[in-house]
Amino acid sequence: MTTAPELDTETAARPAGPLVLAITGFGVLSGAGIGARALADAVGSADAVTADVSEMFEEPLPRPDAHALVDFTVRDHLGRKGTSFFDRSTALSMVACKEALEDTDLEINDDNRARIGITLGTTAGSAKSTSDYSKDTFVQDRPYLVNPLLFPNAVMNCAAGQAGIWYGLQGANATIAGGPLAMLNVLRYSRNLIGCGYADALLTGSVEEFSPQSAWAVHYAQSIEGGDLPPGEGAAVFVVENAVAVRAAGRRPDAEVLAVEVGFFDRPGPDRAFTEGLATCLVRALERAGVTADQVTTVATAANGMTRLDEAEEAAVTAVLGSEVPRLRVKESTGEAFSASGAFQLAALLARHRAEPARDGEISVITTRSAEGAAGAAVIRGWSRDGGDNG
Amino acid sequence: MRRVVITGLGPVSSIGIGADAYGTALRQGVSGVSPIACFDSSGFPYYMAGEVHDFRPENMVRRLSVDEWGRTSLFAASAARLAVADAGMDEDELAASRAGSSMGTTGGESQVLERLTGDSLTAGLDGLDARLVRQVSSARLSQAVNRELRLTGDAVTLSTACSASNYALGYAYDLIRTGEADYMIAGGADSVGRWSHAGFYRLGALTEKACSPFDKNRSGIITGEGGAAMFLESLESAQARGAHIHAEVLGYGLNCDAKHMVAPNRDSIAECMRLAHRNAGVKASEVDYICAHGTGTPANDFVEASAVVDVFGDNPPPISSTKSMLGHTMGAASGLAAIASVLGIAGSFLPPTINFNTPDPDMPKIDPVPNQARTADVRIAQVNGFAFGGNNAIVMLGRPS
Repeated sequence: MTTAPELDTETAARPAGPLVLAITGFGVLSGAGIGARALADAVGSADAVTADVSEMFEEPLPRPDAHALVDFTVRDHLGRKGTSFFDRSTALSMVACKEALEDTDLEINDDNRARIGITLGTTAGSAKSTSDYSKDTFVQDRPYLVNPLLFPNAVMNCAAGQAGIWYGLQGANATIAGGPLAMLNVLRYSRNLIGCGYADALLTGSVEEFSPQSAWAVHYAQSIEGGDLPPGEGAAVFVVENAVAVRAAGRRPDAEVLAVEVGFFDRPGPDRAFTEGLATCLVRALERAGVTADQVTTVATAANGMTRLDEAEEAAVTAVLGSEVPRLRVKESTGEAFSASGAFQLAALLARHRAEPARDGEISVITTRSAEGAAGAAVIRGWSRDGGDNG
Repeated sequence: MRRVVITGLGPVSSIGIGADAYGTALRQGVSGVSPIACFDSSGFPYYMAGEVHDFRPENMVRRLSVDEWGRTSLFAASAARLAVADAGMDEDELAASRAGSSMGTTGGESQVLERLTGDSLTAGLDGLDARLVRQVSSARLSQAVNRELRLTGDAVTLSTACSASNYALGYAYDLIRTGEADYMIAGGADSVGRWSHAGFYRLGALTEKACSPFDKNRSGIITGEGGAAMFLESLESAQARGAHIHAEVLGYGLNCDAKHMVAPNRDSIAECMRLAHRNAGVKASEVDYICAHGTGTPANDFVEASAVVDVFGDNPPPISSTKSMLGHTMGAASGLAAIASVLGIAGSFLPPTINFNTPDPDMPKIDPVPNQARTADVRIAQVNGFAFGGNNAIVMLGRPS
């Protein structure tokens, strides 16, 4: 095992030119289905398809439809052994990791598993698992009659920890609670781990499960902010590595994460302070990526029908990139899935690259925002796998 | 790469709020454990916890409206306030700088979620308070810090359970040394709740009255709560503004057992210590003090002590557990441990392991600094943090040179 080598020290010490992450494979499970093709088809279609979720849970739901994987069961993907206590959030993460590992040419063995880790984004873990635990303390004959085997599920790092065990990854294992910003937070965190030499590769992604708790959380958020998108769920996990190292090994990345910038500002509102904050993140991201506004071909936004937030985000994007760059409104196809939404924005761009070789080398931007005032932007360049040098 | 120093401390704990009170309590070996007050503990066989009864967020935060934020976020923001004041940092200058926060947690705002769960049993899921629902996101812990201090940089909440503060401290250290940020607030926060009290009890990991780490008769944890925040900046920045430097962050190590969700792993923990030493550029023989994860469960303390001997040999440095005084403050634990270590470095003392009665013959080489704080020259301290999921994180701190 090695530690922070000199080369990484130099790379990370240059604030103007941070490490570029290569994505060498990914897996996605969204309401559109399992896999990149299903997501690419969904975001390319004008019709949003939801599922009937009215039979999924005993508890009442605010609406009968959601972008949910109604028939998803973990045993279909990982077998019965050892999976029966996984909650939905853990199960979705585990299967997204499996898909990502099958999609990448990174080989994991005993020589490198200590240098490969997991970084996962969440909002509050499995709110259902934690809430059910609380509920048992209220309704059981004795307040302590909770199931000890389910206790780890109630803690937010369950999915990343279980994935570490299942796939034998002994490198840094981190969970970041970022809500709408989770994926961008995780990308920045992962870039630091690789750039500073703590890890060579990471399974990096974000997850949100559909549950009565999450469905009602969307409902209550919409009661304040407006909008009527159905709730969504799923996970996307990306295999990220040092782009220079990937190319030096003669491998071809599916995408490069050229820049990720985040900030925290006043809540989105009429005073435009938030819009200026997001615009600052966007300008900084373009600068650090070394690209100009006219090179950007697509903006994957977080638009979800919440007027105050959508307008603030759109104003920032327009101010920096203009109004002509096509917007990809991913949530129209995947629903409002909180921390998974950022992962779906990235996965949708990659899925489209995979499906459309004509887009090879295109530069895209991801923007996001939260009602609290968190903002972020990322710059991505992607390719298909149909040949070319991906450079 | 820039060197990174800690110039401000903000503990909000059951044994003291603020660096002076906390430091005094550590020297005196005070216990912060008391009967549970924040929820009705009737029906629970065990009813003790390390609650911060004196926490009055309305007297500590200035910008946050306390009814808009959960208890854990208020712990985080209040601790951050204390850290900035201790650092003597001008607030307006800080707000105009490249500054952010990195906070760790286990349960986040699970106390809010627990309240909503209780409400839903009477009012139904359709009868909840929308303003309370929006408080559930754990992202709000770091956002509360940024909002309170008007920080416009990263607001990151590391939710890696009981080692989360060490993750958060490590990340903040990296952001400053690589030039991504100029000032960072790093630490963690958590609140006592029914669900975790019940969970640890049923896991067989809870003890009845007093937490006695490394004792032969130790029988588990006491759940605790609090907030920890440290103010980090580059060495040049601290020198330029004439700040008092409490300690230097030397580096950290992270790894994952990848074996079991709740059982700690000796070899993996030993490896994490070696990683931390290598990344910090220190030799095991240079470490003067280990602030233990030291939960007080039979398994953790034996595995931790054994790993220490594996790495340090037959004469390891003294190793004590602040959890004997605080209980297990979960996501705040390694942050409060780091602050204790910084105070030990700055004040030349070792915090004690209280409630220690009987040495454990299975760990004869361990010096747990039993019951009384000890005067000692602490040049380099090691802060251990382990967690569910095998999430190990160890931070190395040093006396400023």
